[in-house]
Amino acid sequence: MFKLRKAEPRDVSAILRLIKELAKYEEMEGRVLLTEKDLLEDGFGEHPFYQCIVAEWQEEQSNEEPKVIGFAMYYFTYDPWIGKILYLEDFFVVEEFRGKGIGSEILKLLSDLAMKTHCSNMHFVVAEDNRSSIEFYKHRGAEDLSKEEGWRLFRFVEDSILKMAAPADK
Amino acid sequence: MFKLRKAEPRDVPAILRLIKELAKYEEMEDRVLLTEKDLLDDGFGEHPCYQCFLAEWQEEQSNEEPKVIGFAMYYFTYDPWIGKVLYLEDFFVVEEFRGKGIGSKILKLLSDLAIETRCSNMHFVVAEGNHSSIEFYKHRGAEDLSKEEGWRLFCFDKDSILKMAAS
Repeated sequence: MFKLRKAEPRDVSAILRLIKELAKYEEMEGRVLLTEKDLLEDGFGEHPFYQCIVAEWQEEQSNEEPKVIGFAMYYFTYDPWIGKILYLEDFFVVEEFRGKGIGSEILKLLSDLAMKTHCSNMHFVVAEDNRSSIEFYKHRGAEDLSKEEGWRLFRFVEDSILKMAAPADK
Repeated sequence: MFKLRKAEPRDVPAILRLIKELAKYEEMEDRVLLTEKDLLDDGFGEHPCYQCFLAEWQEEQSNEEPKVIGFAMYYFTYDPWIGKVLYLEDFFVVEEFRGKGIGSKILKLLSDLAIETRCSNMHFVVAEGNHSSIEFYKHRGAEDLSKEEGWRLFCFDKDSILKMAAS
């Protein structure tokens, strides 16, 4: 059976393991550069940059330690039209534990939290070819803002930032 | 001439005015539901949800109050692959003040801040029909992750959230 709880500092190795499993699922495993130390400082320091819910599994009548088999990483963002948003950054359940309602329970917990913190919306990105995830979300009412309103996600990487930060030529 | 500075509580009317002007530019003016009170509580309370830089303009040798003619709203997010990210939520300069280097100066300030706070990347969304903004960003090295990696932005609105919370 499973249990959901807030992540604690001792969970950073499990969180990193699941981040890598999700990246592998998205065929981008080589892109994970974060370390356990980064996750510890960034999530459990004086100014946390993210929050995590973890799903633990324990076989009934077993003496083994419960195992972390799912997680959701989230934080709060701000939409200048409607205010506070709960942003779902990563959301993953290990394959053999899917279909047991764990994902739905995590979403329920996040929805409760969104209501409690007066968030108007929940936002997240999905890769366009991740059809099972898109289906999972659409089934629960999610709208594809990229499709409906044409929003595209852009980024500046470190090199571009360094160039923009350098003193402008006169 | 212009000057950039951090926004203060007294700036919320100007911030809301510019949010509406940007929404109008994006042809979504009716979608702005925030009030000055929301902006005050959310930006200048105990746990600010956003930060703002403002651009002020003052005519040389004028006694008039400087006028806020541009802004950038940002906050910090987290990428589980690379860590801290500076997220640029809104970025706008009033039309008659464009072409004076104000936008570039704002981006420079944000870039300095990103480096100072050890952010690996700066992220933001642009509407695909907004060609001049896309050009402005691409000229400075921005990459279109939606195009290159297929990321699509999704949203659960309040109704869907209520249904999931009640389930």
